[in-house]
Amino acid sequence: MSSVLSFLRQPIVVALVFIVLLLYLGELLSPGFASAAQILRLMIVASLLGIVAAGQNVVILGGREGIDLSVGGVVSLSAIIAGNVMQGADIGIVPAIAACLVAGAFFGLLNGLGVTLLRIPPLVMTLGMLGVLQGLLVVIRMGIPSGQAAPALSRFVTQPLFFGVPGIIWLWAVIGIVMALMLSRTVFGHRIYAIGSNEHAAYMAGVPVRLMRIALFMISGMFAAIAGLCLLGYSGSSFANVGEQYTLTSIIAVVFGGTSLAGGKGGYTGTMAGAFLLVILQGILTTVNIDESGRQMVFGATLLILMMFYGRGRAMRA
Amino acid sequence: MSKLKLNGVSKAYGATLALRRGDLEVMAGEVHVLMGSNGSGKSTLCKIIAGSVRPDDGRILIDDTPVTITGPRSARAQGIGIFYQELSLAAHRTVEENICLAALPAKARLFVDRTALKERAARYIALFDGVSGDGFSADALVGNLRPDQRQLVEIMKALASEAPLLIFDEPTSALDRAQVERFFEILRDLKRRGRGIIFISHRMDEIKAIGDRVTIIRDGETITTLNLGETDAGTVIRLMVGGAGDMPASQSSAPAVVDAKDGAALTVRNLSGAGFRNVSFEVARGEILGFGGLHGQGQSALLRAIFGAGSIATGEIRIGSDRFDAASPRDAIRRGCAYVSGDRGRDGVISGRPIIENVTPIHYLRDRLMIARPSKLSDRVAPALESMHTKFASLFHPINSLSGGNQQKVIIARWLIDRPDVLLLDDPTKGIDLSAKADLFALIRQLAAEGLGIILYSSEDAELLGNANRILVFNGGSVSRELTGPERTRYNLYQAAYEAA
Amino acid sequence: MTEIATSPTYRRTGGIRRLLERYPFLPALAIVLVLLSLNGVFSPNSLSYRSLTGLLSTYMALILLAIAQTYVVYAGDIDLSAGSILSLVNVAIVVLMERWGGGAGAVLLALALGLLLGLACGLVNGLVVAALRLQAIVATFATSIFFTGLALYILPVAGTPAPTIFWRTYGGRLLGLPFVFYILGGLVLLLLVLGRTRLTTQLLAVGDDQQAAYQTGLPVVSIRVRGYLLCGLFSALAAFCITGDTASGDPLVGGKMTLFSVAAVVLGGSALSGGWGTVVGSLLGALTIGLISSVVFFMGTPSEWQNFVQGLAILVVLMAGVLAGRRARP
Repeated sequence: MSSVLSFLRQPIVVALVFIVLLLYLGELLSPGFASAAQILRLMIVASLLGIVAAGQNVVILGGREGIDLSVGGVVSLSAIIAGNVMQGADIGIVPAIAACLVAGAFFGLLNGLGVTLLRIPPLVMTLGMLGVLQGLLVVIRMGIPSGQAAPALSRFVTQPLFFGVPGIIWLWAVIGIVMALMLSRTVFGHRIYAIGSNEHAAYMAGVPVRLMRIALFMISGMFAAIAGLCLLGYSGSSFANVGEQYTLTSIIAVVFGGTSLAGGKGGYTGTMAGAFLLVILQGILTTVNIDESGRQMVFGATLLILMMFYGRGRAMRA
Repeated sequence: MSKLKLNGVSKAYGATLALRRGDLEVMAGEVHVLMGSNGSGKSTLCKIIAGSVRPDDGRILIDDTPVTITGPRSARAQGIGIFYQELSLAAHRTVEENICLAALPAKARLFVDRTALKERAARYIALFDGVSGDGFSADALVGNLRPDQRQLVEIMKALASEAPLLIFDEPTSALDRAQVERFFEILRDLKRRGRGIIFISHRMDEIKAIGDRVTIIRDGETITTLNLGETDAGTVIRLMVGGAGDMPASQSSAPAVVDAKDGAALTVRNLSGAGFRNVSFEVARGEILGFGGLHGQGQSALLRAIFGAGSIATGEIRIGSDRFDAASPRDAIRRGCAYVSGDRGRDGVISGRPIIENVTPIHYLRDRLMIARPSKLSDRVAPALESMHTKFASLFHPINSLSGGNQQKVIIARWLIDRPDVLLLDDPTKGIDLSAKADLFALIRQLAAEGLGIILYSSEDAELLGNANRILVFNGGSVSRELTGPERTRYNLYQAAYEAA
Repeated sequence: MTEIATSPTYRRTGGIRRLLERYPFLPALAIVLVLLSLNGVFSPNSLSYRSLTGLLSTYMALILLAIAQTYVVYAGDIDLSAGSILSLVNVAIVVLMERWGGGAGAVLLALALGLLLGLACGLVNGLVVAALRLQAIVATFATSIFFTGLALYILPVAGTPAPTIFWRTYGGRLLGLPFVFYILGGLVLLLLVLGRTRLTTQLLAVGDDQQAAYQTGLPVVSIRVRGYLLCGLFSALAAFCITGDTASGDPLVGGKMTLFSVAAVVLGGSALSGGWGTVVGSLLGALTIGLISSVVFFMGTPSEWQNFVQGLAILVVLMAGVLAGRRARP
């Protein structure tokens, strides 16, 4: 009996319950909302957020107030780089992927170096980096056109690939499996939890704490870059600050997945559910016929209500 | 008159019962000692009285009147002051602010009355005049103070509550002899003035010196209350450990010399660094070298420095015949050096993670593993844990579900999968119960017999005398005396430690 | 990792360290002075009385918002909704002033209501974060969405003008001195008074170690809520200044300012982890951000590069602020 209860209290179960409830609610408000086609469309959007959240997830798991506020900037930058490298031609996809990954890893590296060598708090370091990236975007956009997505990339993101499911969702599923295996079955994964739970003990047990943390920020940058590339495929061409919306929503997706912002606790499977939950919520709000102000108020209030089911701080009186 | 009375107080955290049945009666004008091995529920009991832990059941009476304590504020209002073992200080505030923090003197209800604050704090600071050490002043930031000085601030803060009932949960663990004596004078004075005092310490001599009565707690249950004048240490310890009443192995003594197998395991020459200077010694394979002396005389700093976690200015270290200068613990581990800290929470336990992940990090590093396959790892982890009779439900339970002693066994098991050449033990039994200590020392001796060079620093003389083949006594960062063979007596150890201290 | 490797039990306090310990905002002051002289080098005119007054009236809102942020950071919290509160109060007072005819009485009444609105927003944040124990970063992000929605409801599109009397006063002079100087003077006085309150010490103690503060017997939840109340109050004051400066209502005006306010707090030498900082530092930090924009402009940076150079410069001074701040505290 108690195992049933603890099962129901697991963050991922909470998220799944809310997903079902919201889909049901959406169907009530606007028939067809929970149809297979519509769910697939929502999942495409969710996979973009989910891929960004994967990087955010590992940075947060690594602890020491780990957080990456620069992901939004990297997503935007990557979309622009990808558009300009591929120039609407399929042949440019591979170089574009390479260029985006390098850019993402580079900015992640800078974040990681600032956080480890100079010991700048991640919030501050990545906040400053976000400012730099936004400035860089202005420079790039003034100089060159935004570029075009290659047709194959757009097909990959928006059209069915296998069994009627678009490629990006398959990609997201693969990322989910890889992340789950990495966190549970690799030394690297165990070390992420170790530095997130007790950095000093991990250091004393021979974990290369600094290298680990730098790697986590680089992973975060690269996931954001992949998301930026896919986002280009989704929208066809990139426009100013397309990635901005991902900065804080990726953190919320991680929180809704049951990962503690204090680090060392959580996983990616929950984050995937969290990302989907967030996207469904936004989906419902765009379906319902209310104006922007009402939509925002309902969104903000719902986020608060949902948060009560997750990661509440411990009561001071034990 | 009974100042405080607890009846059948209990507390469970989830499935673990921290306190099963706590009974306690403290009189006005007595120092009432609480004894029990770690994890027996003493601190939980104290925190329940002080309001920071909510009891599940039981009655609390103050001055024979039943009361409900809803939190630390309510406890203070009902006349309870407490010294927290883990301290409750704000590191970035000054000494005087910390002392008065609970009730900042106010002007016009809104503003801090600085003059009153200074005056009030000065009264308590003056109590420790002359023993509070360099750099201790009313306007020093607490974070800049030494551990013993911080502990003094926490004592002053508890005293400043002027509460009729004072709780001191291990207030002397970092204090030196002079500080302890001053503190005891203050306690005696408070006693005369009719305060009720609850006192926790693991040091038998302190308990004898200050205590009137003792209440013994075992496995979360109050066993009995005795008059300290009518009992002896042996009885108290037997009651504490209960059925498993064997005295720990540490009471028997170690052989004076060991057969030096294949020469030195670790050689240190003229080593100086932060906290220690000009230390030279050699540890043979199969030898247990003891580090003695008062707390904080450079023993820990030296061990951490050898392990690559502290700075070394000059000198030379060799493991076997190779020069050894670890830049980091990672480096040291790779080259066969092991280190176990008594400060589990800080240096050892990867909290919230499964037991298996707490055992494997060293194995990952030394075997350069990339993939962690639980089934394969279990085969190596389980024997290491069993060799110390570690009690655990499964390898996948979080380490926090274990008692302190078992947690420390898990930490030590880390080093048993791939054997190191040198094992550095930095007060490894701090705060663990007697049976765990016995298991641990049995293992340490076995490891020595297998040819490891072992350094054992312990804050308990009996552990050193019982296990070390030789003892170096530290004083002010360097070795003041070496005790070998029949010189290894409690008296000599004591004398060498306090010499010129 | 150095902190782990060396972890000294205590450090001796040297002269410079002592000074920094007492006045943690000194590095921020030095940066401000350097930026001022750079401004002077690139454009001597920019140091004129007139330009400095202009700079102050433009950045007074950010200064106040940074101070607002400081009080929650003291306690180890953060408020990502400060900018949204600013927007909300901005549109609320502009709409009220307009509806009530724009006379002096209407303006004052609207300002009073604006303060109450700021306090109400602070109360919501405080309850959500301290009483309901939600994570400050995500919870105040959620409330910021809510407040923005509310601002959009009050004024869907930017543009309603503020009454003339209001912005004329803000941008004008009183007894021969620019009005913003009076604001600055009043602010300094207010900060001095607040600095002596028990609340300031208690906020810092809570930020230092929340559990320890609770065990000491401090009413931690109520202290944190009061921190958020102060934050809401100062955000409302910041809204008055932005209204005076832009002379209109804009439901999204503060959105971009939140992160700048956090940056200003860090620049001022405060620790985001709480327990250590000064409001004066945050004031200087906000000025630093303003001066950087102005230096970048006067340096003759090509317009498309300005954001980038500005971002880079802010990143660099942020790092400098953190490094200097760390030297100061134990």
